Amino acid sequence: MTQSTDTTPTVEKPVTPAPRGAVTPRYRVEENADAYIVTAQVPGASAGDVETIVDGEKLVVNARRNWTAPESWTPVHREIARTDHRLVLQLDRRVNRDGIRAQLTQGVLTLTLPKAEELKPRKIEIAG
Amino acid sequence: MNFIRYRTPVPAFNPGSLLDELDRLFEAGFPAFNRAPVAGAFPIDVYQDKDSVTIRAEVPGFRKEDIIVSVADDALTITGRATTNAGKDTPKNETTFERAIALPEDLNYDKITAAYENGVLTVTLPKREEVKPKTVAVEVK
Repeated sequence: MTQSTDTTPTVEKPVTPAPRGAVTPRYRVEENADAYIVTAQVPGASAGDVETIVDGEKLVVNARRNWTAPESWTPVHREIARTDHRLVLQLDRRVNRDGIRAQLTQGVLTLTLPKAEELKPRKIEIAG
Repeated sequence: MNFIRYRTPVPAFNPGSLLDELDRLFEAGFPAFNRAPVAGAFPIDVYQDKDSVTIRAEVPGFRKEDIIVSVADDALTITGRATTNAGKDTPKNETTFERAIALPEDLNYDKITAAYENGVLTVTLPKREEVKPKTVAVEVK
């Protein structure tokens, strides 16, 4: 069963980035007729660890990696970074900010940024 | 043991405009950004304690059925299978990436468990009973 949670942007419980530094996660932006889709990889983050904020012209995603090994474990080999993730995207008039939706599934955050109505192609009727 | 380094993304404050991101996407081209079919494309951590060895692998974005964990010849192999469905302009694409990790001999391969949560695969390999240090009480007659 895939875990899928809706993490639509809220600012009720801000997730302050931990002082472990924040790197930009791997992400990509795609486009379809109605929206821009931003997919960002934030492994290790559950719904409570991800925060999406629209701040003026910027879209900010903070994701925390807060797993730590139990005391009794000895690390044998370590490659996983222990930094948090922070993605900042500049929004412009092409995005309808009210309709932004966020979804988190197995460590991949998908943001849907709907295109502004006036930019969608529409036919103009000829009067007269 | 595979010592292929995982390159963490550049720690930069990166407020590019959406148009720049789209340009960058087209320059990079397909295949999908995280599905590069290169061994060692995902990072792993290996820990041990007195009872077991634990391997954590960051493999975000898969379904449970697309992750295969198998053991053969003292090596653990983690395979991720990704299928991107055919879009309007892109063909259906299936990529696999896998990583093999050498294991010590004293593990109980029958009792391996794996869990996949939040994009992190955790494989727990218990050590064999007879290898664990045991205190044996010997009765002295």
